[in-house]
Amino acid sequence: MKRGVTRRAFVRGSLAAAAAGLAPGCRTTTTGAAVEVAAPFTPGQPLPWRNWAGNQACRPAARAAPASEEAMLAFLARGEGALRPVGSGHSFSALVPSDGTLVASDLLSGLIASDDERLQADVWAGTRLHQLGPLLQAHGQALPNLPDMAYPTLGGALATSTHGTGPRFGSLSTMVEALVLATPSGERLECSRAQNAEVFQAARCSLGALGVVTRVRLQSQRAFRLVETARFEALEAVLEDVERRREAHRHFELFAFPHASLAQVVETDEDDGSATPEGEEDPAAVYLLRDVYRAVGGLRGLGGFLYDRTLRLASGAAETRRVGPSFEVLTHARIARFREMEYTVPADAGPACLREVLATIRERDIPVVFPLEYRYVKGDDVWLSMFHGRDGCSISVHQYADEDHRPVFAAIEPIFWKYDGRPHWGKLHSLDATRLAALYPRWQDFREVRRALDPGGRLLNAHLHSVLGA
Amino acid sequence: MRGLRVTWLRSLLGAGAIALAAVAVRADGPLLAERQARLFQQACAHCHLRPGLGVPVLGDAAAWEERRARGLETLLANTVLGVGDMPPLGTCGACTEDDLRRLVAFLAGLPLPGATGAP
Repeated sequence: MKRGVTRRAFVRGSLAAAAAGLAPGCRTTTTGAAVEVAAPFTPGQPLPWRNWAGNQACRPAARAAPASEEAMLAFLARGEGALRPVGSGHSFSALVPSDGTLVASDLLSGLIASDDERLQADVWAGTRLHQLGPLLQAHGQALPNLPDMAYPTLGGALATSTHGTGPRFGSLSTMVEALVLATPSGERLECSRAQNAEVFQAARCSLGALGVVTRVRLQSQRAFRLVETARFEALEAVLEDVERRREAHRHFELFAFPHASLAQVVETDEDDGSATPEGEEDPAAVYLLRDVYRAVGGLRGLGGFLYDRTLRLASGAAETRRVGPSFEVLTHARIARFREMEYTVPADAGPACLREVLATIRERDIPVVFPLEYRYVKGDDVWLSMFHGRDGCSISVHQYADEDHRPVFAAIEPIFWKYDGRPHWGKLHSLDATRLAALYPRWQDFREVRRALDPGGRLLNAHLHSVLGA
Repeated sequence: MRGLRVTWLRSLLGAGAIALAAVAVRADGPLLAERQARLFQQACAHCHLRPGLGVPVLGDAAAWEERRARGLETLLANTVLGVGDMPPLGTCGACTEDDLRRLVAFLAGLPLPGATGAP
């Protein structure tokens, strides 16, 4: 996710000098146009809920956090009224808000059992991804791929087909061999390709609309080490060569800089033991990037040229190299908060789509400087996965959390539609059920499973009514 | 440099909830119950046990000094609603007000009044 420059050294000193020298006093960090959802807090009163990005909020009537699977089943069996599962709150879309009960799986976390021959592990679904790596490594295992941040719960990540990058790897949902679903009526369903197979295909990416996943059997591989190299290059040269590059590395992604001709290229491969770390991450560098743009980018006539030159000078030959266990290299700290829209287009359409997005930003002078992220993900057979039936290229657009993302996303989203894009379920988009149904061949199958498990619509909030048409 | 950090982090994270609960025991009694120690590992540890992020780290007295001066109630409100790069609720969906009050006090090194709060 999102931070290219947020997470890599970006010759901070040069950028800071540029920002300060060209426009003294311009180091503001807000524009006053943020979209924050009101959710007042009064001690002693029920807690409000807000998501990580601060653009979704609710005041649930009750909260629950069962500390065992039995307690979760009993809670669901006796409960009445609206209910929504909640993980770490990292989704930008309105998957969680409810005025009913929010049920958290935070206390269902940790390793249950491991099969060191099959390289499989049973894990509680409330386990955070940042806990998962060390837990698996203790048994000589590691997931083949991970998202680039590790805040979400495993259950939340599966509910939205959260993914990393690499054309030979699917989303986290594809690494699930089996799972246990606690249904809205409190029934315990064991699901796999051989048992409750239709529920399994629906529950591997369910938007939390089928119940609460309590435990997951993950297929791992032997623990391994990676070396990640990040450098700055001319974007167009990278795109011209992108098919070769994506195949040449275990993981490949790039970050494209709006209003500039630059890209940060990130290539990750297995470490043969010879790599040494180089440079440091800078999770707050995206703020500096914005300062630079404000200092030079808005200058009439020459702004774009100066901004591009400044970034090129600041980036120079900078290269960072991160080396370590796979789960440490694949994930990154994300400190700067933002809002995000991501669509997955067919893999081969990726370069053209990215070019059109960047050209539109430049031609309409859309005020966004947060780097766009560009990744590849292998196709799968998960019914509501964004990668169902086709290899995908995921392109993410971000706006700082203290700025208004809406005009930026509204201007860019139609471009993704042209390229047959599917929106990430946990990120912002404007599609409703009618349009989403046309993107997913197994849409009706999912709806039937959902209706059978939750005929009363207990798990449906306003957003799910809209996107599922239920 | 990074190797040292990772080793340190791993030792802290790998110790698990039991060790953390032990750390959280003060002369005047345990500040974090086992539940809150687990929630700390889930939600807080990923940032507040990682030096170099610009986030105040557990045990860094200097980093917490100015924040402590704001008082527990202000830090609690900032935690619930989110402020700057601190995400709302510290990403803890399970936390009650009492959980958050204790976790904030633990991190900031503040005394905990006999507070109870509605979940």
